[in-house]
Amino acid sequence: MYLFNSEVVSNQKLSQNIYRLRLKAAKDFCRAAAPGKFVMLGTVDGLLDPLLRRPFGICRWGSDWFEVVIKVVGKGSCQLSNLAKGVLVAVHGPLGNGYPNAELESEQKSLFLVAGGMGIASIASQLFFALDRKQSLVGTFLLYGAANISELILLDELTAASSSGLQIQTITDDGSSSRQGFVTQLLIHELQTRPQSRVFACGPEPMLKSVQKILQETGCDGYLSLENRMACGFGVCLGCVQTVLSETSETGMETAKVCTRGPVFPAQQVVF
Amino acid sequence: MVDLKVEIAPGVILKNPVLTASGTFGYGREYAPYFDIAKLGAIVTKGLSLQPKTGNPGVRITETACGMLNSIGLENIGVEKFLADELPILRKLDATVIVNIFGNNQSDYAALAAKLDGVTGIAALEINISCPNVKAGGIQFGTDPQAAAKLIAAVRKKTSLPLITKLSPNVSDIVAIAKAVEEAGSDSLSLINTLLGMAIDLDRKRPILGNVTGGLSGPAIKPVALRMVYQVAQAVSIPIIGIGGITSARDALEFLLAGASAIEIGTANFINPQTAIEIVEGIENYLKGQKCAKITDFIGKLEKV
Repeated sequence: MYLFNSEVVSNQKLSQNIYRLRLKAAKDFCRAAAPGKFVMLGTVDGLLDPLLRRPFGICRWGSDWFEVVIKVVGKGSCQLSNLAKGVLVAVHGPLGNGYPNAELESEQKSLFLVAGGMGIASIASQLFFALDRKQSLVGTFLLYGAANISELILLDELTAASSSGLQIQTITDDGSSSRQGFVTQLLIHELQTRPQSRVFACGPEPMLKSVQKILQETGCDGYLSLENRMACGFGVCLGCVQTVLSETSETGMETAKVCTRGPVFPAQQVVF
Repeated sequence: MVDLKVEIAPGVILKNPVLTASGTFGYGREYAPYFDIAKLGAIVTKGLSLQPKTGNPGVRITETACGMLNSIGLENIGVEKFLADELPILRKLDATVIVNIFGNNQSDYAALAAKLDGVTGIAALEINISCPNVKAGGIQFGTDPQAAAKLIAAVRKKTSLPLITKLSPNVSDIVAIAKAVEEAGSDSLSLINTLLGMAIDLDRKRPILGNVTGGLSGPAIKPVALRMVYQVAQAVSIPIIGIGGITSARDALEFLLAGASAIEIGTANFINPQTAIEIVEGIENYLKGQKCAKITDFIGKLEKV
């Protein structure tokens, strides 16, 4: 992983309180980036307020830049979302394990990428990775839910990817897009006809819990990308631990650091 | 070249006064990708107990104004695993190692001290009598001078390793505790541990931390830490290691002026993993600028108002 100060290349408003920040990065950083990995971002003003850096999934990257998507939820995200072109940002990353290879096993029929809310930033990293490398997305489904239509972001670019074979379905809590409900309803429906699928999901905990249950019931293989509060992002603060099943522990369970062992976990391992 | 060597306990001479605070530096190797940890005065390990500990459930950290609250709850791998898996790595990395220990009762502390006595590669023990995040252990010894003294005397009997007692700021008179543990045989003191605090989620009408309360650290606590180091330095004759909200070389140097022989970097390690080594360089540059050839000529030289 790398530590550097990076210049903001662009800051694009995607919705009322969601921004996409593109930052410069060295080639080594970009080579180390992978779908599902994240960075810790902080300001370089030296004011120590906000104090801690904030974790963001690497959504897309090129040979000398990367992008994160920031939803304003507090002081840290507010400050980062306000940064103008040319301003420096402190970057630490790429961190975390990332998603396993998205290629399907021979017996698997389809790959479902399930995103809830800002989980799209992590999920989209896999799609952009494939698109930027001109890989086929035939058999890949994006199921994407958000609170309302304005929070369904990145859809223009992802829809343009439909020529690659990607199929997209969206749903909103308030029905302001075509369908009303939760993204897990879409998943249940789709898995009925495609039982031997692989599922990657990222979103709020209640959604991931529900995805885990669906996977158990259908016997599908899946991975969940978790989010947690963390101070460091590299395994020392112990703030972001998640209880997981363990074969070696006497209790059958242990704590795992979301930042270093995750953020992506095999779905059946996570104990919510 | 500025001579940065400091003596933090009788016979324990460190190459510079920069240490890392327990619980913010893992077991040391986590920082090896970021810089050569052998270049620090010493690293202080995550607090170790006799048995592994899983720590507290629920939300464990939250940021506050210029600080953070944590209620990790002393999660650690246990002393056996440390000795088997982690210490050999630290020795290979050539780090100067101070092991932080805590227990549920006096016999735990004594057993830990006995187990670590004579182990090659350990420079000193830091005795945690000040963690605010666990019900049993730690803080129960750190808030009463007599209980603290009794504990340190018991640990003292079990080891020839230098003892650094880590003090809590959550007391009415930290000087009384400091004097009591000095009397009981502590070779050195480190202060302060975190200040007990709390954060509330207004909209959900509930505490943010799973443990309800947590320890406050970061720049917000620096003035409290400086004051306590200054007061204790006037009252004891053993070396003091200053801890609390240090994020820069200037912060570190203020603690040295106040009477600390060395300092520990805590929360700042989380923000920038290279903070500690940058502070070593910053201290050297500052003293060079001051034409100060030996850091020991700078320590405790706070002038009157």
